[in-house]
Amino acid sequence: MKHLESRHWIFGGLFLFVIISMALNVNFDMRVSPETKKMFTFIDSLPAGTTVIVSFDHEASSLPEIRPLALVVLRHAFSRDLKLIGTALLAEGTAIGYRLMNQTAAEYSKIYGNDYVYLGFKPQYIAAILSMGESIPETYPKDYLGHSYQNLEMLSTVKNYDDVATVISIADGSMTTHWIEYGASRYNVTVTAAVTAAMMTTYDPYLASGQLHTMFGGLRGAAEYEKLIGIGGSGKRGMLAQSVAHVYIILLIIAGNIIYFRTRRKRRGVS
Amino acid sequence: MEWGVIIAGLLTLAIFSFLYRDNPVYKIAESLLIGVSIGYFLVITWTNTLMDLLFEPLTNEGKWSLVIPLALGIMMFGRFHKKIAFLSRIPIAVLIGSGAGVAIPAMLEARILRQISATTGPLVTESGYLDLSLIVVLIGVLTSLAYFYFSREHKGVFGIAAKTGTYFLMAFFGTTFGYTVMSRMSTLIGRVEFMLSDFLHLVH
Amino acid sequence: MTRRIAQIVCFAFGALLFALYFSQLPAVRSLNTTIMIDYWQIIFAITLLVGVISFVKISVTNIRRGDSRPYRIISLIGLTVMPVFAIFWGIKGDSPFMWMFEYVQAPMQSTVFALLAFFVASASFRGFRARSAPAAVLLAAAILTLLSRSSLEGIVPQIVTDAADWVRGNPSMAARRAILIGIGLGSLTTSLRVILGIERTWLGREK
Repeated sequence: MKHLESRHWIFGGLFLFVIISMALNVNFDMRVSPETKKMFTFIDSLPAGTTVIVSFDHEASSLPEIRPLALVVLRHAFSRDLKLIGTALLAEGTAIGYRLMNQTAAEYSKIYGNDYVYLGFKPQYIAAILSMGESIPETYPKDYLGHSYQNLEMLSTVKNYDDVATVISIADGSMTTHWIEYGASRYNVTVTAAVTAAMMTTYDPYLASGQLHTMFGGLRGAAEYEKLIGIGGSGKRGMLAQSVAHVYIILLIIAGNIIYFRTRRKRRGVS
Repeated sequence: MEWGVIIAGLLTLAIFSFLYRDNPVYKIAESLLIGVSIGYFLVITWTNTLMDLLFEPLTNEGKWSLVIPLALGIMMFGRFHKKIAFLSRIPIAVLIGSGAGVAIPAMLEARILRQISATTGPLVTESGYLDLSLIVVLIGVLTSLAYFYFSREHKGVFGIAAKTGTYFLMAFFGTTFGYTVMSRMSTLIGRVEFMLSDFLHLVH
Repeated sequence: MTRRIAQIVCFAFGALLFALYFSQLPAVRSLNTTIMIDYWQIIFAITLLVGVISFVKISVTNIRRGDSRPYRIISLIGLTVMPVFAIFWGIKGDSPFMWMFEYVQAPMQSTVFALLAFFVASASFRGFRARSAPAAVLLAAAILTLLSRSSLEGIVPQIVTDAADWVRGNPSMAARRAILIGIGLGSLTTSLRVILGIERTWLGREK
């Protein structure tokens, strides 16, 4: 470890603070933000038996953040006896979505084919969104497991977006934009989203204009939602570490600026 | 402990080793990741799309109209040989043309008309008060657009508008940075949680 | 000659799909669906296969040249293993294919992303300077956001959270909206230029 640079100390500090915070395993009580409450209220308002599309539009890289978000949405939806159709517009979301749906369905004793179905992945996402607006069975003649669409009892009354209450896009990138621009614009499907924190400001204009019905996101959003549905999860567990990390970054910004201004003053003093 | 967890833990450590410096262990893990990712993508595309939408309807259901897109798809392979590379232009034209065609109404409606409509609301409320938030948004949108208009020099009143737009843009970048930090930290916290609880069993 | 044919095909598909947007006739909607699924989706999927084969070709060339040979071999092994697992054991449930995804691909992918947290921390110390008034606004917005989204409810005053929410919902949103409108205008004109054959870079270089 001969060549430790300043960045290594910064990395080490971050690692140390996060590890200690995680090891302490302290749970916080927190305020629920209005946007998380709005998402919760929306799903809560859907009558039992309503069909909802849950689209896993994310990659494996954001799994630590996406997983708590997806779990709270699925758990809430299953607890409300909603019928879920799982899809994926990104390849990696396919396997993750399949796993998460099965895992959560088992918690609520839901039966594949009756209570939920997983349709799988189509690579050209714009074509998939548009063709689902016309005909979901033609877009997905078979589900992810190879069952014919016609043989799935739950899907007998589902032809296109008119038969679906909402599309919940669980995204870490711009896929929700495509749902809004092609799904909501053309077919008037209600689009809601659970997104990673990095994408939240991207969707603010759509939220403000009503094109995106509701949205919540980030690990904090997942923790708030866990509080609302009364089930603990990794959202809540990560809150202390998240807060400590934020304070660490703020201190680094302040420290960096103090050093900068001092150096600048010295240079001006010298010149 | 499950073998899978051990392997996942070791590969996680291999990737984290990059923080010290680039090294062969990291490079091996990275190469494995690239290969496995591409292999995964290949399988999912094949099973979820080509089998369901092309080969099965063509062979089992006799949907012979699919010969045309199949032929167009095969023309893409012309890219691998200089003499027949020109053939790939046709399927590319289908993809590009389709994308452009559906984008026009979508961009016009979703990104332009609806967004402008949401910006232009009544600036005075029913009770006679100014809707400050809407005024701020209107000024913000106009001045930010002025900043990005480079066909005219940013001088005079226009220059002041563009300069004001800079501040709104900085507010956006700062807020986005804050949320991005949150997102990255969440990912790190997730990995640390895995290492501490599943891999090392130090935390339950 | 093929350049001209490609341009005509591009115009045909582009103009057709644009026109189909404006009709609700069942026959038109059916045609729309056919183009989406039978043409666009299938050709796109085959194009992805071309990408995979391209990667294999480049890797083999590099292996022959001795350029990063061990790493290229490992990549190719990883690439081969996945379809082999899928063919023999399928892709469902607890298959080896899913095992590889869950214990090899997903952990590594999320760890690569987690590295960014460290670089963000380093950049915060080295790069974020309040050199000017706009930069100070950027930093202030960032710090407000970080404080408001932590769980320090007892320590951080409510006014900080309210201020952060106001900044996000108004000035920040306004700037993002302007960017969206700008991108929308750009995409619109580029799409028109592509369909009308004015924009031809996608055709490649003319001989």
